[in-house]
Amino acid sequence: MTPTTILIAAMGGEGGQVLADWLVLAAEAEGLAVQATSIAGVAQRTGATTYYLEMTPWPKDGRTPVLALNPAAGEVDVLVATELLEAARAVQAGLATAQRTTLITSTHRVLAMGEKIAMGDGRVDGAMMLRACREGAKRALLFDAEALMAADSAALNALMLGAIAASGTLPIAAERYEEAIRERGVAVEANLAGFRVGLEATRGGDAAAVADIRLPDSVEQVVALALPRLVDYQDQDYAALYRRRIEACGDLPEAVLREVARHLALRMSYEDIARVAQAKLRPERLARIRHELGAEDATPVRIHEFLKPGIGELCDMLPGFLARPILALARSRGWIGRAHCGMEIETTAIGGYLALAALAKTRRLRRWTHRYAVEQELIEEWLHAVRGAAALSPALAMEVAGLARLIKGYGDTHRRGLGNYRLIMDRLVLAALAGRAEPELAPRIARAREAALADPEGRALERALAA
Amino acid sequence: MERSFKREVQQLRLGANQVFRGEGIVAVAKALLQSGVSYVGGYQGSPVSHVMDVLVDAEDIMAELGVHLETNANEAAAAAMLGASINYPMRGAVGWKSVVGSNVAADALSNLASPGVIGGAMIISGEDYGEGASVIQERTYAFALKSGLCLIDPRASLPTIVRLVEEGFALSEASNCPVVLQMRIRSCHMQGKFVCKDNVAPAIGTRRKLAEPAGFDFDRLSHPPATYRQEKRKLEQRMPAARRFVVERGLNEILDGELGDIGIVVTGGLADTVLRRLARIGLADGLGGSRVPMLILNVTYPLVPEQIAAFCAGKRAVLTVEEGSPEYIEQQINVILRKADLQTRVHGKDVLPGAGEYTAEALDDGLAGFLRAARPVGYDLNAVESAAARRAAIKAKGRALVPVELPPRPPAHCTGCPERPVFSAIKLLEREIGKVHVAADIGCHSFAIFAPFNLGHSILGYGMGLASAAAVAPMQQRRPIAIMGDGGFWHNGLQTGVIGTQYNRGDSVLVIMQNGFTSATGQQYLPSSTTSRFDAPGGMDIRRTLEALGIGWLRTVRTYSIAKMVATLREAMATAYQGLKVIIADGECMLARQRRLRIEVAERLKQGLRVARARFGVDEEICTGDHSCIRLSGCPSLTVKTHPDPLRTDPVAHVVQSCVGCGVCGEVAHAAVLCPSFYRAEIVRNPGRFEAWRARFNRRAIGWLAA
Repeated sequence: MTPTTILIAAMGGEGGQVLADWLVLAAEAEGLAVQATSIAGVAQRTGATTYYLEMTPWPKDGRTPVLALNPAAGEVDVLVATELLEAARAVQAGLATAQRTTLITSTHRVLAMGEKIAMGDGRVDGAMMLRACREGAKRALLFDAEALMAADSAALNALMLGAIAASGTLPIAAERYEEAIRERGVAVEANLAGFRVGLEATRGGDAAAVADIRLPDSVEQVVALALPRLVDYQDQDYAALYRRRIEACGDLPEAVLREVARHLALRMSYEDIARVAQAKLRPERLARIRHELGAEDATPVRIHEFLKPGIGELCDMLPGFLARPILALARSRGWIGRAHCGMEIETTAIGGYLALAALAKTRRLRRWTHRYAVEQELIEEWLHAVRGAAALSPALAMEVAGLARLIKGYGDTHRRGLGNYRLIMDRLVLAALAGRAEPELAPRIARAREAALADPEGRALERALAA
Repeated sequence: MERSFKREVQQLRLGANQVFRGEGIVAVAKALLQSGVSYVGGYQGSPVSHVMDVLVDAEDIMAELGVHLETNANEAAAAAMLGASINYPMRGAVGWKSVVGSNVAADALSNLASPGVIGGAMIISGEDYGEGASVIQERTYAFALKSGLCLIDPRASLPTIVRLVEEGFALSEASNCPVVLQMRIRSCHMQGKFVCKDNVAPAIGTRRKLAEPAGFDFDRLSHPPATYRQEKRKLEQRMPAARRFVVERGLNEILDGELGDIGIVVTGGLADTVLRRLARIGLADGLGGSRVPMLILNVTYPLVPEQIAAFCAGKRAVLTVEEGSPEYIEQQINVILRKADLQTRVHGKDVLPGAGEYTAEALDDGLAGFLRAARPVGYDLNAVESAAARRAAIKAKGRALVPVELPPRPPAHCTGCPERPVFSAIKLLEREIGKVHVAADIGCHSFAIFAPFNLGHSILGYGMGLASAAAVAPMQQRRPIAIMGDGGFWHNGLQTGVIGTQYNRGDSVLVIMQNGFTSATGQQYLPSSTTSRFDAPGGMDIRRTLEALGIGWLRTVRTYSIAKMVATLREAMATAYQGLKVIIADGECMLARQRRLRIEVAERLKQGLRVARARFGVDEEICTGDHSCIRLSGCPSLTVKTHPDPLRTDPVAHVVQSCVGCGVCGEVAHAAVLCPSFYRAEIVRNPGRFEAWRARFNRRAIGWLAA
C-alpha cells in the first residue's frame, strides 16, 4: 500500500501553511488518512519553505497506515511549486520524475538575491527551467499565477489549490476543496474566488506561455529603433550622425555590426541631467504610475523624485573651458564623489514640474557641454578600436564592441564602469592594436569583462588582468 | 503575535472522546492541560514557540483551570521555575529551543536534577536539528546523560506524542527526574488528530493555593553535603526507578518480524520514517508491520539494559538508528551487549551518517549498508540493489535536466524591515572608513550575514554580540560594531554585553535593534514592547535602562534615516569618547506594523477618513541595470526584470507591488548617490478639500504646460 504523496515548495509569506491545511481538510472530508508537515522556516519572508503531505485510504482491518514526514527522490506524486526556480530545484533533486509526478507550478519568477545583485544579468535561464519542468514530470501543469494574481487579485495559495483540483491527480472530489476553504475559515469568499480562477485557468492543462522581449536580430531593426530614440534625445542631425557612423562601419561582419549599432545607440543617448529630466516629465509615465497605484481620475497622486547630482554631473552641463578647471580643482581637493547637491523634487507640483522642464530644456545646449565632447571622443575611439580589431578577427571585434556594456549608471557607478572599461581598453585592446597582440585575446577580453561585472570592488578584474 | 491561535485555542477546550485536529506542538499544549499541570512557562524559539503562543492566547482557559502561565525572561529563568516541583507535588512544564536554550538553562537544570522533583517536571525541547534548523547542530542527549534527565523522543504520531506527555509526568514522578520531551521540527509542524481527554484542574493551582510553604528539608537543596547524597540517589534509586517505569508502562515498542537474525533499534522520532523506507524494499507493509524486528525507543534515556539484551539475544546483527554524534545509544548498546556477553554485531554510524538529519535518502543508504553487511536469512538483496540503482538514475536525470547550480534562498529581512537600512548604513560607512569588525548576534539581524550585506564576523549566541567583541576591540585600530536585538538585550545582552563592557571600560560601538518584538520567533512581546499579553505596556525601556547604567554616549536614530544613521555611526567610530557607545536603532517590526496598519487603514477608509499610501518605483528609462541599489538595499520588493528597452540586455531594477513604501529605496539612492531613477508615488484616498483642490490645480496647470 503506497500513500499518495504531495510536496509543496513555496516561500515564506505565500500562505503555504493554509494551502497544506486546505489539502488536509479536503482529504479528511474524503475519508482518507492524511498527515502533513512542514519545514516552515522562521517568521521572515522570502526564505524557501516546504510542506509535505501523505494521504491514503484507511485500511479495512482497522490498522493505522504509517505516514512519513520526509519526501524522497522519485516518490512524489504531486509536486506543487509557487515559483519556477523552486520547481526546478525539486526537479534537480529528483523529487519530480517522469515516471510518477504531476508537476504543478507557477512559471513566474521571484528572483533569488544571488540573481538580483549581479552587476549584469545573473538570472537563471528560464527556458531551461521550463523545459526541465516539462521533461522531468509525467504531467506538467504550468501557468503564470502572478499574472492571475494581478488580474483577479487572487491569493497565490488559492490559485494553486485550484490548479491542484484541476489536475485531478489526488483521490479527492473537486467539491471537497471548496468545503475545505469554507471550513478553514480564512478570507473564505476571496479564496473561493481565487480557487475558481486557478481551476479555470489550468483546466486545459499546461497553460504557460513564454513571453520574452526578443532582441532585434538585424542591423536594420536596431537602426530603426535607434533613429527615433536619438531624435527624441537630441535632434535629426544627431540621428544623422548615428547613421553616418554606422555606414562607416559597413565592412564589419553582420553580427558585430548589430552589436555596434545597439551599443552606439545607447552610448549616444548617454544619461545626463537633461535626459533624466526629460524622462521624468513624459505624460505616459505619470499615466503608468497612476495606473499601477490604481488611482481613479480625481484621486490625488504625488510623485517625488530623488536627484543628487555631484560636481561631475553639474560640470557635465558646462562648456569644456569651464568644466575642465573646476573638475581639476575638484579632483585635487578630493571633492569628486563627495560633494553633492541633494534634491527631492515633486514632479506633480507646478514648481517641481517647472524645475524639471527647465533642466530638460538644457538638452538644446548639449552639443556645447564638456560631457558631450568627452562622450563623442570615447565613441570615436571605441569605433576605431572595433574596426581595427575586425581586421585581426571577427571574434575580437565582437568582444571589443561588447565592452561598451561596462559603461552605465550614474555617479560612482558610472565612474567605476568607465574606469573598468578604460583599464581593459588600454591594457588589452589598444595594446593589441598597436601590434603587441597576445594569443587568446578575445577570450581574455571576455573574461575581463565578466570579471568587471563580478564584484563592485574590482577585485575579480584585477585578478583577471593579472592572469 | 504573528499568528492568531483562535482556532487552536478552541481545540484546547475539547473534552473526553472529542477529536483534536491540528499541529503536533499544539497537541502537546492540550496534553499538558490533560495532565493537570499547575504551571507552564518557557522562552520562545522555533520550533516550539507555538506551545507558549497558544497558551498565551488561551489565558482564560488557564485561569479557569488554575494554571499559572509565565513568559520567562530566558531559558535559565524557565528552568529555575521548574524548581517549584522540587518541594511541592505540582506538575510543571516549560518549553524552549534546544540546544541553545538548554545551554542557557544548564545551570538551573543541573541544580534541578540534583535534588530531583516530587511533582512531574517536563521540558518541551524543540529539537532544532537538520533541515530547516537555525542553530548550531548539537543534540540534547548530552544534557540528559550528564544531569540524569529522562529523555523522551516520541514516535511521530499525535496519539503517541500525547500519551508520552502524560506518561512523561508520571515517569518524572516515579523517578524524581525531570523529563525532557524532544519535539523535532517536522513533528512540531505535523498535522494529525487524536482522541482527547478532559482537561484536569491541578490539585495545587492559582485557584487552590497552599496555606503553608513546604517544611525545611536539606535534601531538597543542591548544596553540600546534600549533593553527595543526591548524586548517589540518582544512580542507585532514581535511574533504576525510571527504567522500571519504562518497562512496566511499555513506553518503548517492540515490533516482531520474521527476519529474526537481525533487528533495528531506533529512536522513536525516526521510527515511522524507517518503517516507510523499509516498505520501499519490501521489508514493511506500510501499516505498522515490519519483517525486520524493531525496538522503538520512545524513551531514549535511560536505556533499559535488560530490554536491549533481550531484543538482541539470538540476532547476528542489529542496526542502531540515532541522529547526530557522538553515537550515544550505539555506544551504550555495545557496552550492554558486552556485559551480557552477547555476540550480536552492532551497526550504526558505520553505515549511517554521523552528521545531519536522517532524511529518506540517508536512511535508504544506511539500511542498504546494514542489509548488505548483515545478509539476513530469507531476504533477497536484489530489492535493495535495484532500489538503489533506480534512485541513482533518478538523481542523475534531475541533475541533467537542471545542469546549473541554483542560487540558494535563505530567509531574509522582510519588505520594509527596519533592520535592513542599518546594514545599508554600515556598508556605506565602510566605503568611507574601510572594513569594520562586526560582532553579529542572534535574531532577524543575523540575516545580514547573507547577500547582499555579508556583514558579520562571529555569532556567539543570543544577546552575545557585544560580549563577543570584548577581546576584539582592544586589538583593533578601528572600533568593532556589535549588533544586538531588543530580544537579545533583555534575554541576556544587558548583563553579558552592556554591563560587562561598561564595567571593563570597553571601547566598542553597540547597535541595538529596537523593533518592539522578538521578531524571528514569531513576534512575541518583550519587556520594552508597547503592549503585552496583559494589554498594557511592559513598562521597561531600553534607553532609560542604559541611562541608569551610566552609558555616557547614547543616541537613538530612526533606522530608515540612512544618512543620519551613517552620520551617527561615523561619529561613534571617530569620537574621542572612551567607553561604550550605544546607538538605539529604532523602527517597529514591519510585519507587525503592516498587520496593525491593514486593520487601521480599512477602518479609516470605511469611515471616509484620509489615507495616504506610498510606494516606490523605478523609472525603466533611467535605470541602466547596474543594480547597485539592490546590493545596498536587499529588499525583497526590489528586484529586476527584463529591460523593456530592446536595445538593453541587462535587466532593469523593478519595485514589485509588495512595496510598503518604507522609504529606504529613496534614502539609499540619496545616501549612496546612486541614480535618479527612484521615485516615490503617494496616493491619497479621501483627500481633504484643500488637498483635492491643490491636486486639481497642479494637474491642470501641468497639463496646460505640457500641451
